[in-house]
Amino acid sequence: MAERMTLEEFEQGLTEAGYITEPEDRIAVTAFLAVQLGKPLLVTGPPGVGKTEIAKVLSQVFKAHLVRLQCYEGLDETRALYEWNYQRQLLKIQLQRESLQEEDLFSESYLLPRPLLQALVSEEPTVLLIDEIDKTDAEFEAFLFELLGEFQVTIPEMGTVQAKKHPLVVLTSNGERELSDGLKRRCVFLHVESPSVNKEVRILRTKVPELPERLALQVARAIHVLRESVALHKIPSIAETLDWARALLLMGREDLDAAWVDATLTLLLKSEEDVQAFYREMGAEKLLWEARSAGPEKKVEQHRQARALTDEAGQAAAGRT
Amino acid sequence: MNSVSELDRHLVEFAGLLRQVGIRISASEILDAAQGLALVGMEDRNRVEAVLAATLVKEPNQIPWFEEAFRAYFAPPEQKKAWQEEAEKKAAQWREDIGQTHEELRFQGRELALGEEERAVYARLPEEEKERLKSFLAKSSEGMKSGIPVDHAFQPILERTVRGSLEYWRHRLGEDFPLLPPGEANGVLSEVEEAIRRKELAYLSQDLKNIDPEDWPRVVDLIRRLTERLAGQISRRYQADRRRGGIDMRRTLRANMRYGGVLLARRYRSRHTGRPKFVLLCDLSGSMVKYTEFVLQFIYGLSTVVSGIETFAFGERLARLTDEVRTGKSFQKMVREALPAAGENWGGGTNLAVALEELVRTQAQVLTRRTVFIILSDSQTLEGERAAQYLAGIRRRVREILWLNTLPERRWPEIKTIEQFRRHCRMYECYTLGHLTGILSERLG
Repeated sequence: MAERMTLEEFEQGLTEAGYITEPEDRIAVTAFLAVQLGKPLLVTGPPGVGKTEIAKVLSQVFKAHLVRLQCYEGLDETRALYEWNYQRQLLKIQLQRESLQEEDLFSESYLLPRPLLQALVSEEPTVLLIDEIDKTDAEFEAFLFELLGEFQVTIPEMGTVQAKKHPLVVLTSNGERELSDGLKRRCVFLHVESPSVNKEVRILRTKVPELPERLALQVARAIHVLRESVALHKIPSIAETLDWARALLLMGREDLDAAWVDATLTLLLKSEEDVQAFYREMGAEKLLWEARSAGPEKKVEQHRQARALTDEAGQAAAGRT
Repeated sequence: MNSVSELDRHLVEFAGLLRQVGIRISASEILDAAQGLALVGMEDRNRVEAVLAATLVKEPNQIPWFEEAFRAYFAPPEQKKAWQEEAEKKAAQWREDIGQTHEELRFQGRELALGEEERAVYARLPEEEKERLKSFLAKSSEGMKSGIPVDHAFQPILERTVRGSLEYWRHRLGEDFPLLPPGEANGVLSEVEEAIRRKELAYLSQDLKNIDPEDWPRVVDLIRRLTERLAGQISRRYQADRRRGGIDMRRTLRANMRYGGVLLARRYRSRHTGRPKFVLLCDLSGSMVKYTEFVLQFIYGLSTVVSGIETFAFGERLARLTDEVRTGKSFQKMVREALPAAGENWGGGTNLAVALEELVRTQAQVLTRRTVFIILSDSQTLEGERAAQYLAGIRRRVREILWLNTLPERRWPEIKTIEQFRRHCRMYECYTLGHLTGILSERLG
């Protein structure tokens, strides 16, 4: 897809597409490796940290067509790969009852290609996004092996379909379920965490250029404290940070104060439980105080460790299952 | 050519180190790493780390281990040398300590048949205790029985006595895990393990009763996060079970009547799986209270994905705690109030047979085919045989019985009744949060 591109050119491409990276987040190097090694990129991380955005931005950088497969419980190959156009086949049988041959019914014109097959047969450069793979079941994951390893699929009635041009595959996972070793082995791995304060300020300045730098910093710091120090069921995503910043801008704010945090909190916390947790554990005044001071660093570090422990437990669980 | 093979050697060595800390790496992943390094170059340390992380790590929980391994493996040579010397010193100290026990633990000049773990306990004893044991051995060597000096036939009895004493000291010293030798004296590996311990990533493998009271809030926070994650997994799997089944002919025919009976539209059966009910039976003997407190927190964190939790505690008798737990009483208060109901000698002996008999007699309605019956106990109970009979009866009424045993599995053969209990339930060793998460994830998923 990008045979002659260097890492520096790739990083430049990401910046031009409006995607902010930092050396510490390893996003640029890892995505570059996936492209150059021709391997699928498996991106994990909590919801709202920009996993899906990586696929979108790659399609921009490589001027490729983006094909998206949104995974959900019960997704099977008829909805992901192909399905025979049953109604059309039936119609054909009714019309040509006498002269019909079986192979007439199993040709491309009776095939309904779903996202995976569309990506394989595409003549154009394609980025295939398999979003939230952890929501499917293990059988579907195993079914993907052939596609991800060989860039081909087998349709029993027609034979093997080879990719015309290898698509760049991006898989995302929120970690709801452990993925199989087979899948992980076939992929280049990237874990994305919530952005640092500096990175979020850069994102805010890029996506909402009219936002004053001072307010951008206050917003980013407050969000950082909120994510790391309050026991929320759903931490605010980058998109919600942007919504919040835009709302504050619309209201003509130049500084963040407690009254405005209270007034706009529902843009960040989307459940009553989280709002209650926020007021029980912190409140607007303390949020702003912690965002201004270096005080929360220790607490932030403790919460980060607690998260690492949670993941460790996930591994223990996976080891047994 | 030399530089290439040097790179390969480092890569293979580094992958070996990662394997030693528990990360599974195949040859193809090492190959990917080599290709990646060739693409990105070796000049920038951050980029090298990113390439190795992308190709050798496959799960978020491996990242802390990877980062410590990278830091340690690519540390300056003088630092690595210092770690190596430190590790070798520890290994030499271990060898010396164990060697000394071979000299000191003797009966009439013959070595006692003790395992390395037992010798390690002896080596950690306070000096006066060592002296007491040595003097006991010396006196026994010269002892008399019925006026006749004892001979080597007395040695097995003496060994049993020494083992019993060392077992007592192992508990006293809080060494519930096997005491293992420091191994190959690998300085880099020791440094990685030490760093991970410093990061306190060890809670999950730490015996719950040994967790420092100061750390409880953090462990409670950890339990909350673990249960959220587990609840997410369980809820997802129950939803996934609703995927479509085979063709539902009756609904298909009805749907196609409008097409004159030509089967254009298909209708599928859907499958539903009921959520389980939990019945928890917790041992309230003195040694079990701390485990019970943590396990209750854990199980109640799952209340969103199970359709009901009934909680009972037992000492000498059975006490129902469901309402107390629901009203959010503190565990200490709950236990205090349950004390008279559970038996006068609460905190002492326990009788599972009485508790099970009472459960079947007075609470039969909670034992149904949807019930997952969970027993939390170290299985040290009075009337074990009778308890096993009641357990067999309950097994026929419930979906399954899970026994979370806080006694390490390697010590199960010492308790006779465990074998009888295991015929009627799935017994798991369960004295850490890691165990608990693994069991529930496996059994409920």
